[in-house]
Amino acid sequence: MSGRVLLEAAGLTCRFGGLLAVDGLDFSLASGELAGLIGPNGAGKTTCFNLFTGRVRPTAGQVSFAERPILGLRPSRINQMGLARTFQNIRLFDELSVLENVLVGFHGRLQASFLSAILRLPGYRAEEERMFARAAELLELVGLERLADERAGSLAYGQQRLLEIARALATGPRLLLLDEPAAGMNPQETAHLADLVRRLRDRMGLTILLIEHDMRFVMNLCERLTVLDQGRVIAQGAPREVQQDPAVIRAYLGPGEPVRPGQGAGDA
Amino acid sequence: MSRRWYEAGPLPAAHTTRRRDTRLTILASLAAAGGLWLLQAFAGGYVVHMTCVAALFAVLAVSYNLINGVAGQFSLEPNAFVACGAYVTALLTLSPAEKAASFILEPIIWPLSVISIPLLPALLIAGLLTALMGFLMGFPVFRVRGDYLAIVTLGFGEVIRVVANNAQAVTNGPLGLKGIPHLTDLWWTGGLLALTLFIIVRLVNSSYGRALKAVREDEVAAEAMGINAFWHKMLAFTTSAFFEGVAGGLLAHLITTISPSLFTFFLTFNLLIIIVVGGLGSNTGAFLAALLFTYGGEWLRVVEEPLNLFGLHIPGIPGMRMVFFSLILVAVMIFMRQGLLGRREFSWRWLWAVLDQRRP
Repeated sequence: MSGRVLLEAAGLTCRFGGLLAVDGLDFSLASGELAGLIGPNGAGKTTCFNLFTGRVRPTAGQVSFAERPILGLRPSRINQMGLARTFQNIRLFDELSVLENVLVGFHGRLQASFLSAILRLPGYRAEEERMFARAAELLELVGLERLADERAGSLAYGQQRLLEIARALATGPRLLLLDEPAAGMNPQETAHLADLVRRLRDRMGLTILLIEHDMRFVMNLCERLTVLDQGRVIAQGAPREVQQDPAVIRAYLGPGEPVRPGQGAGDA
Repeated sequence: MSRRWYEAGPLPAAHTTRRRDTRLTILASLAAAGGLWLLQAFAGGYVVHMTCVAALFAVLAVSYNLINGVAGQFSLEPNAFVACGAYVTALLTLSPAEKAASFILEPIIWPLSVISIPLLPALLIAGLLTALMGFLMGFPVFRVRGDYLAIVTLGFGEVIRVVANNAQAVTNGPLGLKGIPHLTDLWWTGGLLALTLFIIVRLVNSSYGRALKAVREDEVAAEAMGINAFWHKMLAFTTSAFFEGVAGGLLAHLITTISPSLFTFFLTFNLLIIIVVGGLGSNTGAFLAALLFTYGGEWLRVVEEPLNLFGLHIPGIPGMRMVFFSLILVAVMIFMRQGLLGRREFSWRWLWAVLDQRRP
């Protein structure tokens, strides 16, 4: 399944004042992987996402996407190169409708100029039609097609998370970063989400990296896990191996208490 | 039924009724043109003048709303753009003789002293120059957001006024420009209003408009979704500068005398009241509130005249209408936090649906 390296970070360091959020991180993700980034609260997972997507500038280090350095580029530019994300604390355009939220995702790749859009020239119209058709497909994919005209802010929590995924997909990514996609979801919704994520990878050929605290979700879904603690990678590998890694258990539960292997890094 | 009369429930999708809506828009435009013709033919000069002012304020409000309401960038500079447009147009259309006569502090500089061109090209040049000014101004001001943006743009507004006061060889300083030909009529103002509404409404309803709203709702998320927030703000800012410049030009040719004191922060402040009362982000709201503001301001003159109430004589108090105005504003803020329309917009689909549900 896995192919060439899609995302690579080398010596990535990010310091916020006295806090070293990410400390010399080396990380790489191959094309077609479905990987997870886990670690206790404050380990620097979301900061990693912010660094990859250009929202936060690193203190030192390099990030490249599809073999091109992306450090210092605007987040919008990085997104247009094919790297899309969702947010841990949902950031939808609340006042816009569900459909409009997805449509916004297509705008970055719009070819038609501003004048063409105002004059509704044929080129713009054709693009707009494609946009609407594709948005409807994406809403159906995540199961929100019936709510297309609702205000995005009025959706239930789990639905908002799905809408964020649909919006990110609209930007036409090769790599999708999901920041705690299952947070606040009930078991049924989580199962539906796992199904969706797997389909995105298998059928749409996306590479997916996700942060999640729901361990059952991560263990069942991801093929490879990277564990962060205090901004550093402490373990990497297949979920089963990582689960039994003493360093991981120590990071989650603290030193001292002996823990039976197998139930180690529970739902922390 | 708990629904209010103006709530029509779900509307049909826009593309299903496009043809009918276009026809209705054309019909309405023709009706409006007919209305203008009737006004021109039968109404007095005062009503015509006020209608011109109202139309220009509507242009200003709708374009100001694009940057403040649609793109959500709270800025305070329209007085600068209106001043720029007014001065440029006036300097281009004034006759050389008139310029020579009124520039008594310092003679007017060379190319301007001999130029005199018709109104239409002058307006276009003024619009483009104002847009250019907005474009250049955008680079520094959009480095900041929120309150800071408001303060920086407010500063630019003041700078333009100070420049107008001091660049005497170009603007004639505090004496201003006099004898500007009275060329603005209902057709010019009505035409500009139609053009502004056409372009801005289409912009807001296009993919670019959605991107602007996305920037307003959450700039970080908009950037993460591939929208370059900076260039989209610039787009809204420059577009609004263009129309404000042209409206300024027509304003100069309506009142025929301009001076720096005409373009103080109060102009911006009035426009801000208009778009807030109308409902930030709503073009319809900005349009209606501009009409209410200009006509209402005239009707309220009643309260400034001497009154005899039940034998009680109240002398005329100048400025009394501003008190009433404030009261109205306070009432709007208490009872309609979102302004008259919130973010609702007029659409034929809505009108159709409302009329439909009233049918027995």
